[in-house]
Amino acid sequence: MSLRALELVCPAGTPASLRAAVDAGADAIYLGFRDETNARNFPGLNFSRDELAEGIAYAGSRGAKVLVAINTYPRAGNPGPWTKAVDDAAALGAWAVILADIGLLDYARQHHPDLRRHLSVQASAANAQAIRFYCDEFGVKRVVLPRVLTVDEIARINDAVEVETEVFAFGGMCVMAEGRCLLSSYATGESPNMNGVCSPAEHVHYEERNGQLVSRLGGFTINKFRDGEPAGYPTLCKGRFRACKRDSYLFEEPVSLDVSNILPSLMDAGVTALKIEGRQRGKAYVAQVVSAFRRAVDAAARGERPDTADLSSITEGGRQSTGAYEKAWR
Amino acid sequence: MSQSGRTAPALSPVLLLGFALRPAPKPALQAAASLAMAALLRSHRGVFERLEGLANLDFLIDPVDLPFRFHLSAALPSPRLHVLGEDQKPEPPVAAMIRGPLPALIDLLEGRIDGDALFFSRALAVEGDMAAVVALRNAVDGADISLAEDLLQPLGPIGAPARALLRAGGALYRRAERDLETLRAALIAPVQRRCDAQEAQLHDLDETVASMPARRRERRP
Ligand code: SF4
Repeated sequence: MSLRALELVCPAGTPASLRAAVDAGADAIYLGFRDETNARNFPGLNFSRDELAEGIAYAGSRGAKVLVAINTYPRAGNPGPWTKAVDDAAALGAWAVILADIGLLDYARQHHPDLRRHLSVQASAANAQAIRFYCDEFGVKRVVLPRVLTVDEIARINDAVEVETEVFAFGGMCVMAEGRCLLSSYATGESPNMNGVCSPAEHVHYEERNGQLVSRLGGFTINKFRDGEPAGYPTLCKGRFRACKRDSYLFEEPVSLDVSNILPSLMDAGVTALKIEGRQRGKAYVAQVVSAFRRAVDAAARGERPDTADLSSITEGGRQSTGAYEKAWR
Repeated sequence: MSQSGRTAPALSPVLLLGFALRPAPKPALQAAASLAMAALLRSHRGVFERLEGLANLDFLIDPVDLPFRFHLSAALPSPRLHVLGEDQKPEPPVAAMIRGPLPALIDLLEGRIDGDALFFSRALAVEGDMAAVVALRNAVDGADISLAEDLLQPLGPIGAPARALLRAGGALYRRAERDLETLRAALIAPVQRRCDAQEAQLHDLDETVASMPARRRERRP
């Protein structure tokens, strides 16, 4: 028996990562320009226009597509960098743009009607009504669903809408409704949705103190890791805080999402594509995760039980979770 | 940033090499570091160009298994790699410090391992300006660096014997690494057994406490 394989959409923060993803079997690569127009605006990361052109050529020659994420919200009074990013992605031959802002979606629909539009997770469209609105008004062809839905809820959405859906498969867990979390803005004064990065590196401090690794974001201590205890990023949602006289993880623990063992359920739920998170990670991560998921996705398409990839060595906190998909914590 | 943050390094061929290099004259080590830097600049100028926007381009690279450290000044037109003694302070002050075993640092430089994964596993420690660290990591990861190839590149085809020698050295190194790991495991086996027993005891205790009714737990001194 052969089913339609889930499309594997993979991250690239540099041209080297793009080549690693394509070589490891990605169906599509998503990336961003080197500025605040995308939600992974890290120092030294992302693509120049020339690098995008080379990346599209490399991917195209090996049968892979390139999607450009322009998924932050344009600054009031200065939408220029965002509309220019859409124009350049279209001119350079990107397969699709991933957008969140309705003004930018409208701009893309009017100026580049043939350029495929995907709705970014940053738009936080988590129900059939919201999704239908984006499809009807802006001709969106695919919606990236927020990481807050169960597999059953995803199945119900897919039954109710015509559009393709893409879900997160591996990597960082963003446990709030994306695009609406203000924790990092509160701690650093910089908004993930406008400046393009949650817990920006400029505000992160690590310190070895009495054999413990202390991580801070802005003025807040986020965690203290014992000697040898696996560490995590200093994101507020995964901080260990004192409440009711106890130190504990209040929202989520340092852990990475991994859906490799529920791929058949996601296929049954009508999902079209899987997104691997991690444009800020190195090319070794990209190569390892993409090849593991290539094998798992192909096995699931053959109707075989996907081999659960052992990716724990590259996960945050050394642990994996199926997050909201199996609704263990919500 | 001082040596105080350094934890005991693992037993490895690099650690033994470090002991052997301790009496080596500093000019010889400096010459080797300068050679490596010249090769990087020749083959991967783009790495340094990607960093140009940073205010401070100085980094302290601290291989925990060697008795010296490196001060990297990544500013173009002439980036430099200075060998520092264990207690020598970098001058000017650095933006950030990156500390880990030399093989892990080389794997990172050559893009064979993910920096975040090394950090999660605590094999890598970073301190100072994280924006600078992230920028350096991304710039290096974006290049396809191979130290051996970059060093031998000017030799062209006549570098073939040196490449063969390096391959043989690599195989020898991996063998030595395996042997030392066996030796390390044998040396710590009695202590490891005691630790395992204590961990099991602690686990049992945890379970007993967890199964006690909440109010009885609160009354405990
Ligand atoms: S703090 Fe956590 S939930 Fe909020 S944006 Fe950052 S990763 Fe997502």
